[in-house]
Order: sequence, then C-alpha cells, then structure tokens
Amino acid sequence: MKATIRTALAGLVVVMISAGAASAQAPEVVQRQDIMKANAASMRVLVPMARGDQPFNGMAAAQAATAIAESAQRAKALFPSAATAGGTRAQPAIWERKSEFEGYFDRISEAARNAARFAAAGDEAAFKGAFPAIGQTCVACHTPFQRPAN
Amino acid sequence: MVRFAFIAAFVAVLGSDSAFAQADDVARGAYVFAAAGCAGCHTDVKNNGQLLAGGRELKTPFGSFFGPNITAHPEAGIGKWTDADFIRALRHGRRPDGAHYFPVFPYTSFTKMTDRDMLDLKAYIFSLPVSAQPSKPNTLGFPFNVRFLQFGWKLLYFAPGEFRADPAKSAEINRGAYLTQALGHCAECHSPRDGFGGLRTDMLYGGDLNHAGQGTKVPNISPHRETGLGKWSEADYIELLASGMTPEGDFVGGDMGEVVANSTSKLTPADRAAMIAYLRQIKPVEQRVRGGN
Repeated sequence: MKATIRTALAGLVVVMISAGAASAQAPEVVQRQDIMKANAASMRVLVPMARGDQPFNGMAAAQAATAIAESAQRAKALFPSAATAGGTRAQPAIWERKSEFEGYFDRISEAARNAARFAAAGDEAAFKGAFPAIGQTCVACHTPFQRPAN
Repeated sequence: MVRFAFIAAFVAVLGSDSAFAQADDVARGAYVFAAAGCAGCHTDVKNNGQLLAGGRELKTPFGSFFGPNITAHPEAGIGKWTDADFIRALRHGRRPDGAHYFPVFPYTSFTKMTDRDMLDLKAYIFSLPVSAQPSKPNTLGFPFNVRFLQFGWKLLYFAPGEFRADPAKSAEINRGAYLTQALGHCAECHSPRDGFGGLRTDMLYGGDLNHAGQGTKVPNISPHRETGLGKWSEADYIELLASGMTPEGDFVGGDMGEVVANSTSKLTPADRAAMIAYLRQIKPVEQRVRGGN
C-alpha cells in the first residue's frame, strides 16, 4: 500500500514537473518549432532530388520549396523578445543582432522561392543549381543563432 | 637511346612539376586552408573581424584564449616567419622564439600534415590582405599561464610527426585519415579530454559531454550503433558534410555550422567520400552524448 502511494506520488510529481515545463514554453516557441519541423520535412523531400538520389518531381519540389519560403516570413514574427528563449535552442544573440537575424528569413525565402520557380517550370538542372543556397542559409543562420542540439 | 629518352622525360616531368607547383602553391594552399579550418579560430566573425586578423575568444577550463593575428603583417602577424618557422609551429607546436604553444592551437593534429601542405598553406596565407591589429593576450589563471609547463604537457600528450599511411588500408581510407586527423582535426572536439586537457586516445571520436568545460555536448561520431553514427547511411554522412543537414532534416549550427560552411562543404566530393570511408571504419566508442543520436 505504502509502495503504491509512493509510486502514485512520484507519478504526480513527474506529471506536475512536465506540465510546468510545457507551460513555461511561450506559444511563439511552440509555433516556431513546428515551423522548423515542417521545414525539416520539406528538406527531406528536396535533398534526395537535388542529390539525384530520387527522381526529380517538379511539382513536389515546388510545393516543398514554396512551403519553406512562406514559413520563413511567419517564423520571422515568432521571436518577439528574449523572454521566449527559455527552454529552446534560440541564442540570446538573436535579440542582440535582430536585423541581421531577420535578414536570414528574407534570404531563405528568396532562395526557396527561386528553387521553387525552377522546379515548377520543370527545369531540373536550374533547380539543382539553385537548391544549395537554401541549406547554406540554414547553416549560416544556425551557426550564430541556434544552440547545438544537446 | 632508351636511357636518354627516359632521363629526358624524367627531367621534363621534374621541370614541369616544379613550375606547376610554384604557380599552384597558393591555390593548393587555399584548399588546405579550407580543409584545416584555420579561419574559424583566427577570425573574429562575430564582430565582423578581418579574415585571420584574430581576436576570437576561445573559452576553456584554464581561461580564455584569443586566436592571434596570423595575417602576413610583419609586426602584428606572422609576416616575418620563414618556412622553417611555419613548419616548426605546426609540426612541433613552437613559436619562432622557441616558446611552446598551448594545445588550444591544434598542432597536436597539424603535426601530421605533410611539409608540402604546410608550405602551400603558408603561401596562401601570405597571399591574403594583412592586418595591423595586435593579437590579444590570453587570460589564463595560474599555473596554466606558465608557458614553460607546456613542455611537460607535450611529453605526456604530444607525438610529433607526419602522418604515416597504413599499408593495410586502401588509398581512400588513408586519404580520409589524413583529411580527418591532420587537416580537419575532428578529434580535437569530438573526443573527451582528461583533467589536463589531453585527448582521451582510447575514446577518439566518441564525443564530448562537456566541451572545453563550457557545458556544450559534442556528438559521438564513431560508428557505434547505439551511441554513435553506426546507423547512418553513406548518404547521411555525405549530406552532413556537404550541406550540414542531419538525417532528421535539421541543419547544424554553432561550431559545426562553421566547419561545414568553411571546410567540409568546400572539399571535393572525393575527399568527403574519403573522410566518410575513414570514419565508418574507425573503432566504435560507446558513449551516449545525446539521446537517440
């Protein structure tokens, strides 16, 4: 009986702690993390085509690249203040160098739109030429502004 | 007659080779420079510093180091260095005046470079714009600020000498080993260190739970199936080094973001493939650094 109570209490504590952790995350954090996850899924569609590991599908590629381009503009608005850095991989540098940080969203929008345009036109070679700029922008922005995964 | 033709051909090859080498030193050096990632520690990117003008802070458990100015400026940089000075710095970790470097400068890896790569690297660095910005002094606590003690550290942890190919391994794996060990100096961050800052040679590439004492984790890149990259396909490795994308579709940032942008993305596909061939056959090290790595 004692053991059961102890287990139940321990369970309750775990639930309370995790609830606390969840509520500590600002809604912007959840939204931008969802965007990043969606972008990762899009990249997993695009990369094999860009590498030639998967057959080129212009429609699918255009769709995935456009999704990245559009999400970037939404994501830009989801870093309102340093208060939303808690429990995330966002670096304080974001709010110290806000305009530089926001510039990356414009750059990735442009790069992704560019690749999408070629993909929609069915121009595989041009798509492959335009594609690397997307990933380069990801790395360029993550390098100063995103803490490595732990 | 045959002998004469042979000698003539030999001389012609020698002649064209040296002419080619002279014209090509700087270009080769640029490639070595990228592969060795010199720009990272010697450039204060955060403050828009000039390439190789130094000033970047490197925090360690022993204090802060600042990457020095290694442009060819005669006073502020290394402009007065001879070829022998340059080789001694990389091969033996010593300044032209004989003082020992701290191993935050990874001469422990660069010692494995060929003389040719070192001199081409110097030719390239000397072709870049110079900067008169003075190098910042390190801020180390006692006794770590006593440079002479580095002599003892070297006795314990440093094995000088050029890379030697393993005849039992393929040419590709040996090239990969050279790129990974001598130039990329990957083990310097991707391995744990002991209390004196020496690499745990029994756990090379097994990741670091507390990198440079700053609380950052560096992934286990050994081919251990559960805790390393053992489950990665060759395409996964290629993508990481070429573009920085992980198998999950995330893109690396932080220090590895710099490595990808400055180094691995600039290698030839054959050299990336060689590094991967090497990394996939090294000893798997069991150390969990991150969940589900």
